[in-house]
Amino acid sequence: MKDKVRDWLETGKVDLFLGYKQVDGHPLPHAFSKENLAELGELIVSPARYALEKLATEILAIKPALKIGILGRDCNQRAVNVLTVHQQISPGQIQILEVNCCPSPLRKHAACSTLQPQTYGAVKLELGVDNNMSVAQMDQFDQESLYSRWMYEFQKCLKCYGCRDICPVCFCKECSLENNDLVATGGLPPEVPLFHLIRAVHMAGRCVDCGLCEEACPVDIPLRLLYRKVNGIVKDLFGYETGGSHEQPPFSLLGESTPPEAEPHSKAV
Amino acid sequence: MTKKRMTFLKELLPFIGLGGRLRLEWISSAEAQKFVKVVTEFTEQIRNLGPNPLAKTYGDSLDSLDLAPAPSEATGSGCGCGCSKAAAGA
Amino acid sequence: MYRLVPSVCSYCGTGCGVLFEVLDGQLLKTLPLKTHPVNQGKLCIKGWNLHEFVNSRMRLQSPLLKVNGRFHDVTWNRALQFTAEKLKGIIEKYGPDSVGVLVSAKITNEENYLLQKFARAVVGTNNVDHCARL
Repeated sequence: MKDKVRDWLETGKVDLFLGYKQVDGHPLPHAFSKENLAELGELIVSPARYALEKLATEILAIKPALKIGILGRDCNQRAVNVLTVHQQISPGQIQILEVNCCPSPLRKHAACSTLQPQTYGAVKLELGVDNNMSVAQMDQFDQESLYSRWMYEFQKCLKCYGCRDICPVCFCKECSLENNDLVATGGLPPEVPLFHLIRAVHMAGRCVDCGLCEEACPVDIPLRLLYRKVNGIVKDLFGYETGGSHEQPPFSLLGESTPPEAEPHSKAV
Repeated sequence: MTKKRMTFLKELLPFIGLGGRLRLEWISSAEAQKFVKVVTEFTEQIRNLGPNPLAKTYGDSLDSLDLAPAPSEATGSGCGCGCSKAAAGA
Repeated sequence: MYRLVPSVCSYCGTGCGVLFEVLDGQLLKTLPLKTHPVNQGKLCIKGWNLHEFVNSRMRLQSPLLKVNGRFHDVTWNRALQFTAEKLKGIIEKYGPDSVGVLVSAKITNEENYLLQKFARAVVGTNNVDHCARL
């Protein structure tokens, strides 16, 4: 890995390489460059994940001439695809050095870096939604229970905007969540469930299921589950595989080709 | 685009427990009978579902916090996406 | 030219770990420090926007002294001299207990220690309090 990065930097394939380095006991993202090749010995794969592609996109927004390499897990790869589809970066601006999802002998290829799923207290399990549940498991609840469980989760929201700020594919200059007509300012909890549903709808065809939003949420709202459902719908209805496809997503107004119409679906409401 | 979004929302809303409160129909100004039929049907469907839980919870949480701007129109209707013609909540 | 600098949030006394993105000496953004034992990769809305006040145009960059009802930029020497003279005058006139010292969560433990030492040993009062003692 280190040799490859050295090679990339020396041949000028990338001008900057974003990897991780241990600083004061914390694995932190670090920018390696041609000037400090000696530092490459400290390059590690961190168990704590940061959205390196988001950092790279932010640098590229200011210095578009750069070429940046990143250490990439599957989720980073998907996010780079989505950013390219949404024309935030040009193809080739970000080079990915693929690494195993989890630097662990236990699980060679996990859904994310969390090896041990978090366990939750009895109150949350009784009244709210268990973050470890799957979309299919949610279907066993009836409508009334689903509603009260989701509202229990949404009403905890502190409106920290952490889910948006950490999201690798949230790049809009004007965010609907800051639109006064949609989400009024000054109140807590924010307008439930509008706040979360607005974000959920905007994640359709965009969310790469990296789980960073849920990790950043101070009140453990099962955001990943919600966005999984949203992307599941997009896949069922429009056959669009978010993060894997290089076409415009179904709700996009950009691009020349018209995305497919909704197909008739069996679960009519 | 509208059709795509509505089909999408029809799948999403049941997931958070608000199913059956959204409907999209194309009705021409010449189709008075269809309009009557659709509105009657949908009103009946909504009435059977009972009051919109969203309006209640939202109102309550604001009352208890006592910092109420008047609940916006969106919370009163079925979905809040502006499709008032077909999505009139009961 | 691009660095990520770990730091501690300067807002409240909790002490969440943050990570600053610095590009060419300009603060770009704040991220939560994932491995920090205090906040474990989470932040509140103030922490997420830490970088904004650093770059704010409204930020005070030198001491201000009010003369004839208007604030004027002065040097640190002048400001400290003025404060010392005023404090001395007040202590001589009304006694040490007419002075109180409020310290802050935004400064280090050592600085807080120094300030209580200043209050007790130099001024001679026990009127010391701290903004994190809410």
